[in-house]
Amino acid sequence: MASYDVMPDVQLYQPAEMDDALELADRFGRDGWILGGGQDTYGWLKDRAKHPKAMIDLNGIEALRGVRKSDDGIEIGAVTTLREIIRNETVNAEYELLALAAGRVASPQIRNVGTLGGNLSQDARCWYYRRGLACYRAGGNICYADSPQGMNREHAVFGASRCVAVSPSDTAIAMVALDATMVVQSVDGERLVPAERFFVGPATHITKMTSMRPGEILTAVRIPSTWAGARFYFEKVADRDVWDFALVSIAAAMQVDNGTIGDSRIVCGGVACTPHRLRDAEKALAGKSLSDETAEFVAPLASRGAKPLNYNHFKLPLLENLLRRAVRG
Amino acid sequence: MNPNLSRRRFIKAVIASGAAAATHAGMPSALAAGAADDATKGGVERLMSLNINGKIRRVDVLPQETLAYTLRYKLGLTGTKIGCNRGECGACTVLVDDIPNYSCSTLTHSVRSRGVLTVEGLQAPDGTLHPVQQAFIDELAPQCGFCTPGQAMAAVGLLKDNPNPTREQARQALSGNLCRCGAYDNYLNGVMRAAGGKA
Amino acid sequence: MSNYKHIGKDFVPPDITGKVTGKARYAEDFRADGMVFARLYTSPMAHGRVTNIDTSALDGMEGIVGILTADDVPAVEAPNAAILTNTPVYIGDPILAVAAEDEKTAEDALARIRVHIEPMPFTVDPLDSLIEGGPNAREEGNVFSRSSEGSGFRTVKWTPQQIADFRAGKEPTGEWVNEWRYGDLEKGFADAAVVVEEPFVTTGYAHMSMEPRTAMAYWDNGRCYVYGSAQSQSFWIPGLARLLGVEQKDVVLISEHTGGGFGSKIGAYPIAALPGWFSKKIGRPVQLRITREQEYYIGSARVGFQGWIKMGFAASGKITAADIFIVEDIGPNATGGDASSAGGAVSLVYDPESLRFRGLPVLTNTTPRGAQRGPGQNQIAAVMAPLMDKAARQLDIDRLEIRKINAVNNDSTVYENQEPVTSAYMKEALDKGAEMFDWATKRNKPKTNGSKVIGIGIGQGYHSAGTKGFDGLLRITPDGKIHLHSGVGNLGTYSYASTTRAAAEVLKCDWEDCVIERGSTDANLPWSSYQAGSVSIFAHTRTNYVAALDAVQKMKQIAAESLGGNASDYDIDGKNVFNVKNPRQSISYGGAAARAIQLGGSYSGAVYPDDIHEITKRSVERLAGSGLIGVAKDNLEQNGVIPGLACAFVEIELDLETGKYDILDYVGIAECGTVVHPQGVEAQMKGGAVWGMGMASLERHVYDPHNGLPANVGYYQCGIPTYLDTPLHIRTAAVDLPDPQNPFGARGIGEPAMGCSVAAVTSAISDALDGHVFGRTPISRDMIINHVAEREQSFKPLQTNNF
Repeated sequence: MASYDVMPDVQLYQPAEMDDALELADRFGRDGWILGGGQDTYGWLKDRAKHPKAMIDLNGIEALRGVRKSDDGIEIGAVTTLREIIRNETVNAEYELLALAAGRVASPQIRNVGTLGGNLSQDARCWYYRRGLACYRAGGNICYADSPQGMNREHAVFGASRCVAVSPSDTAIAMVALDATMVVQSVDGERLVPAERFFVGPATHITKMTSMRPGEILTAVRIPSTWAGARFYFEKVADRDVWDFALVSIAAAMQVDNGTIGDSRIVCGGVACTPHRLRDAEKALAGKSLSDETAEFVAPLASRGAKPLNYNHFKLPLLENLLRRAVRG
Repeated sequence: MNPNLSRRRFIKAVIASGAAAATHAGMPSALAAGAADDATKGGVERLMSLNINGKIRRVDVLPQETLAYTLRYKLGLTGTKIGCNRGECGACTVLVDDIPNYSCSTLTHSVRSRGVLTVEGLQAPDGTLHPVQQAFIDELAPQCGFCTPGQAMAAVGLLKDNPNPTREQARQALSGNLCRCGAYDNYLNGVMRAAGGKA
Repeated sequence: MSNYKHIGKDFVPPDITGKVTGKARYAEDFRADGMVFARLYTSPMAHGRVTNIDTSALDGMEGIVGILTADDVPAVEAPNAAILTNTPVYIGDPILAVAAEDEKTAEDALARIRVHIEPMPFTVDPLDSLIEGGPNAREEGNVFSRSSEGSGFRTVKWTPQQIADFRAGKEPTGEWVNEWRYGDLEKGFADAAVVVEEPFVTTGYAHMSMEPRTAMAYWDNGRCYVYGSAQSQSFWIPGLARLLGVEQKDVVLISEHTGGGFGSKIGAYPIAALPGWFSKKIGRPVQLRITREQEYYIGSARVGFQGWIKMGFAASGKITAADIFIVEDIGPNATGGDASSAGGAVSLVYDPESLRFRGLPVLTNTTPRGAQRGPGQNQIAAVMAPLMDKAARQLDIDRLEIRKINAVNNDSTVYENQEPVTSAYMKEALDKGAEMFDWATKRNKPKTNGSKVIGIGIGQGYHSAGTKGFDGLLRITPDGKIHLHSGVGNLGTYSYASTTRAAAEVLKCDWEDCVIERGSTDANLPWSSYQAGSVSIFAHTRTNYVAALDAVQKMKQIAAESLGGNASDYDIDGKNVFNVKNPRQSISYGGAAARAIQLGGSYSGAVYPDDIHEITKRSVERLAGSGLIGVAKDNLEQNGVIPGLACAFVEIELDLETGKYDILDYVGIAECGTVVHPQGVEAQMKGGAVWGMGMASLERHVYDPHNGLPANVGYYQCGIPTYLDTPLHIRTAAVDLPDPQNPFGARGIGEPAMGCSVAAVTSAISDALDGHVFGRTPISRDMIINHVAEREQSFKPLQTNNF
């Protein structure tokens, strides 16, 4: 068993124009690796667990960087760094949920270079998969985590299908809560994908975390003004407060009028292969006040239908507790 | 490949320099073959100039090469340490345009035309230690010392951004740097001392 | 406190500037002409037999320089670790190495090598091996016992009922192999007003020093030069020479700086000898760089415990009996021996009237274990603290008070043979800590605030903190400089430097006149202790003291001979040797050194004491004639156990809904005799505090029992505490009372600094949860959440190496 940690041979392209990037993405297809901050790239390559022929570095494309106000909300370029998002005035004033989520990603250095597009597109952290084993997600026909003795504390309690890995992205749950739209481009044009459909589970695509196809590039995220200035709650519970991925996290956007909840979108991370919406809770919350009573009333709905594995049933009470905290007032 | 794509469009800036390329034993032998090869195929040009600690260094850099690798093995700047090579410890932290980066997880080609500051660049030309370095000594902050260059760079990055941090802000700013000896309290004392505040 | 010139004063250690400027060189920073790069191929299987190594794909591959396999290095007897092996006993066990002109080519080569391994039975949890029909970690057996009567493999099996009873918290009835006891245990329990009885698990975890243990070596004139990552210096030489198959004089170890060790680099480890063998084979300098993942595999780990403890307390709070049974996870190479040390720690820290220890060291196919900061003492410290609290509650005694009632003191007798201690001031430490922490107020503070609960805890740590019998060596040169030769390693505690200040103290000289000689065994070092076990402060203030006394005596003799009178007429003032009656009759230190060279004999090192170690002798022989030599073996009186003690007080705010807690306050008190280096003690106390926090709630081995795969080979999954997992401030102080058996009153502190922390945190968690005893480290978020939600824990009782 080798232990690799030197970057292997791989070509690097640093296009300055979007058209060139799309052309490269098209040309390389599956052999191309779209590079944002690279923080979920170099490990895969150093491990020799993924073998792209070329990295297509988007950081030189100015059009992909920055937060812009649009007619209906904001648009954030895909290579905008998490640092820029955390420090952005508009994001903090109107969409603080995203700033809170971005602020809990990994570590300062990773936030300094890690991009929004990269954070949303990152791969599963299941330790068996990251070990380079030939599991379902890696194209094999076994799941090591969902086995009688599998060490699956960090794995899914909802929506598993052969693979039980969870969505690791902190910003993904914020994006679903904010009802964002992903702008995806290719040489064939542009398609807009609602955040909820951007993230896909193993039943749809067992080797992918998103609905992106080879040759496509996530270029921007649009956040509608619907949720601007709403009441937000974000919390991430991890073992360590730096680097670690969520055991369970929650991102909630709620329209609250005089203490009464109207529409809401409440999304959890670390419990399913995609950002997990608590739809039952959202429905039950409509018309209720932000209060301890409401918290107790809706909490059990959070874990309804969960199917815990051997080592992760603690996620059920934790999930319920995070929902309580989001709606307590 | 679109034949109209010129190399110039891929490469935003190349700082010309007459200096000979730095080489080092241990560099992949394939490098001996013409460095212009990749560029003609549309990839990055390997021969490049880097602005390291205020000096322009001409280096032959593989497309996939990490900054930590270039610094340590091509430029002999071994103050930058590799603890994990995975962005999980912070020992390799350097500043790129004043912002802390894990150099093990930064492509050297991505810092072309940007300023890189490593621990070797902290001292004044007359040898005077940077206030962060002096404060780390005064607080006996380093124990084994392997994480120290990274801690120092994270601290310098913080003070460039915020010269008067609170202790909590300092803790947040340095939180991407592990210290297995557990000298966090001493490093924080050092940062606060360097910032002119009370430890 | 004292009138010392150097002892008890801070100073700037000479190597610290290099650490902040990046100039400090660690093993991987060295290069040699023509050096090639080696990388390891390790076992993908937890246990197996290599049947074939196919390297044909490397034939003709450009840049490949050589391959080293187990056939090229000495075989060793099981259970010892070999440099390379054909019978791997854990995932990550080194099988071969490839050397190439560059690292990428070496990795390319590793990708092409095919190693066929026949799988063999394996186990990752001692109880899975112990149960009848369970697999043995090695063909030779599943238990390896080391004792003075002889060491060897055994096969020990318990019935399923015995295993089930053990898991259920009952006293183990299965076979054990180690036992010692003192006092009347039965009477102790009969006399007890309260008995507490609990099973416990402390999961092992990796050392994960920041510097991966790279090594480089080449041969020159029959001598092997090794650039390694070593936490000791002189002490490495006998082991390294053995590993390389050469005489001690033919090994040079260069280890200027070491990026952490924590017990994992005390003596020469096998992989440090690989570049030497490889270099011998291919005739070029070889550097073996270790990846972070490989550092997890070969970088050692703490021994795990699965145990049972029963203690009787008199109505007064005094412990009348302690009965301890520990199944010890000693990895595949039978390294550790923590369990008996744990028993010893209970005997020392709490001074029970009677004690029985029983132990069973069981082999597992997990990463090799070794000493890790307070090996045994710190695991049991974590177990003991909540139990002391439980007994205190049942007896209605304050939790601080019960610790003071049982506190080790100058009159205590400890261990199996009920030996005396050199001195012990645990009660004073507890009092000092309680005052700083304001225990009296904090224990009455309201406990809850919404979902958050305050918990306060007290922990006590211990490790023996001294040894004797090593050598001191210094040299005064005609320029007046005092060269202090230190063979203590440079791990970052700065004891290599602070102990030499004992010599400066005796010589009354200015620190500016001193030069520390260190970093390479060719720098003429004396035989020195390991830089571990909290021993160096005690051991090497003594060696520096005796060497300096020798130098002073020689200077006085030279003065008498040159200026008249007897040596006893003379005294020193730091620069000169002068006649007490006529101070103008004097000779400078440098002048005395020049005269020593002329006089030769013992003055210049041409003659030296018989009882010094061969390493010291060689150094003196090389130094002879270059100055006045002060050299001596530490034959100072020493008897009894030398305790390093510490206590800690911690206040946490635990969130019942998330299982997370913040440490609001931490006070650590060192009881290490006289403080030699205040900043050094503080650094050890703070670093130990962080280690304790990691052990208490984050760090652990995780292995999949089905395939033996480890889950946490990187820093991310290992859970090393970060800035944000530790408090914003850590407060420390020292008792600072002198120990009578050290010339300056000093003892060590590195290990107890951690034990008190992990114990204080487990105590505080228990306090926050109304006295609940988890009986396990780490106490992870999920355990707290499940407990609060009244759910079963995910793991089986006493299961280990699991999430």
